[in-house]
Amino acid sequence: MKKIIKYIFLLLITAIFLFPVVFMIACSFMSSSQISEMLDFANGEYKNLNMIPEMFSLEQFYQVFFRRPEYLLKFWNSVIVTFPTVIGQVVVSSLAAFAFAKLKFPFRDKLFFAYIVLLILPLQVTLVPNYIILDNMDLLNNFLAIILPGTFSAFGICLLRQSIKYIPDSSIEAARIDGASYFKIFTRIILPQIKSGLVTLTLLCFIDNWNVVEQPLIYFDNSTMYPLSIMMSEIGNSDYGIIFACGVMFMIPALIIYFYGHRDIDLSFSDSEK
Amino acid sequence: MTRKRKDYFTAFLFILPSLIGIAIFYIVPYIICFIKSLYIGQNFVGLTNYIQLFSNNTFLLALKNTAVFTVIAIPLLMVISFLLALFLNSFEKISSFFSSSFLIPVVVPIASLICVWQVVFDDYGAVNGLLNTLEFYTVEFFSSEFSMVMIIFIYVWKYCGFCVILFTAGLANVPKSLYESARLDGANSFQLVTKVTIPMITPTVFFVFLMEIIYSFKIFREVFALFGDYPNENVYFLQNFINNNYYNLNYPRLSSASIILSLFIIIVLLVFFIFERKHSVSE
Repeated sequence: MKKIIKYIFLLLITAIFLFPVVFMIACSFMSSSQISEMLDFANGEYKNLNMIPEMFSLEQFYQVFFRRPEYLLKFWNSVIVTFPTVIGQVVVSSLAAFAFAKLKFPFRDKLFFAYIVLLILPLQVTLVPNYIILDNMDLLNNFLAIILPGTFSAFGICLLRQSIKYIPDSSIEAARIDGASYFKIFTRIILPQIKSGLVTLTLLCFIDNWNVVEQPLIYFDNSTMYPLSIMMSEIGNSDYGIIFACGVMFMIPALIIYFYGHRDIDLSFSDSEK
Repeated sequence: MTRKRKDYFTAFLFILPSLIGIAIFYIVPYIICFIKSLYIGQNFVGLTNYIQLFSNNTFLLALKNTAVFTVIAIPLLMVISFLLALFLNSFEKISSFFSSSFLIPVVVPIASLICVWQVVFDDYGAVNGLLNTLEFYTVEFFSSEFSMVMIIFIYVWKYCGFCVILFTAGLANVPKSLYESARLDGANSFQLVTKVTIPMITPTVFFVFLMEIIYSFKIFREVFALFGDYPNENVYFLQNFINNNYYNLNYPRLSSASIILSLFIIIVLLVFFIFERKHSVSE
């Protein structure tokens, strides 16, 4: 009996988390008239959250793919901005995280603290000075203007340092005694053991850059370079139908990475059973 | 001695790539920002910008709202996600479907969710429909002090699952034998949590706290999407203040506000960092 209540509670929580996605997917298959009826706030009636399309319609996806190819172009811009950033950040941060977690050197903790401070500085603080530097490096109106600062975010270092800290020192010392170099220890011992950390970082870094809004607005003069995330906020109130279809399309890469990697994130659950 | 120096050098090589990037894209900009905060135009004015800032009513309002949000939302999120993590951990085996769906709120793009929140929180939206059926008054989520409640709700909803996953990862690293020996010593389940679990996962708590602070700044994207540049006075945060000064490129005010915000964060972090080093079991 207790078990059933626990499962009901679990289902309830899950439903709360899943609700908006289900809602979005449902809306993306609705006809645009049904959506505008549902989202019309002016008529003074209570809104019904309709989860079931009155009529299954692919109209909005048709619009996005065939009528308005600019959305696919923006989608590609998002890809160009996001993937190099993610790869760069994973490589750079795993190297540094290893040093911060397991190697000893002067000022280690102080330097790490400086990293944390830099990490949590709000974006608005660094945006203007960053602009000046990118301007001097002649990188404005170049996708590198977003990719490079993103690559060196301290976020990955903090995350991976956390995973590496849990690896026992003894295994590293043993490898040292056997004469392995630190680089070998890094590739052979550390990396295989922080797989879940790496997957988590990839996912979070991907999401963060996938949602990028502020930087392109400032660094790019040409709106053809804007990623889809900006377009989505700019479509505005007029075209809810397209927002839902774009939103679903926009979500898919993140969901693919997530479902491909979620087994590793979930390792935490299976570990505790031992 | 030489061996030690060689080790330092190796460690340095590992950090070098990130150090170069961080220096160019973060440290130098930060210094530029600080210098700008001491000037008005070309004239060096010392701390005048800071003093002016504290007599600016909009800034004080933004400061107050940010403080209220931080003090309520961050501990709330921490407690809820910790309890949920304990709850998940109490299952012998759990379908990965549940844990997967916990990260969904973070995955979904912000812009597309705005419509959903409007349907839920509008004056004639789902929540008010429910409240009116239960014979409560209509709550104006978009134009009263309940805006803050709505923003806190969205923040907790969005990052709760993420924190739960972080906590469960930490909980998985606590050896089962510790619980068993504590139970043999006659500890009840409340004591198990406070005396065994929490001390063992201090590094995780620290990390979750850090993430929560970082993400509390990103709530600005939601506020911006829901309210635009000038939200009502209950949800006018420091980030709104910085952003609005950013539009009219008021560098002195912009940079001094950023420096104050950073100083505030540094102090909070310093306290927590010292705390972590004292209590961390893994070191």
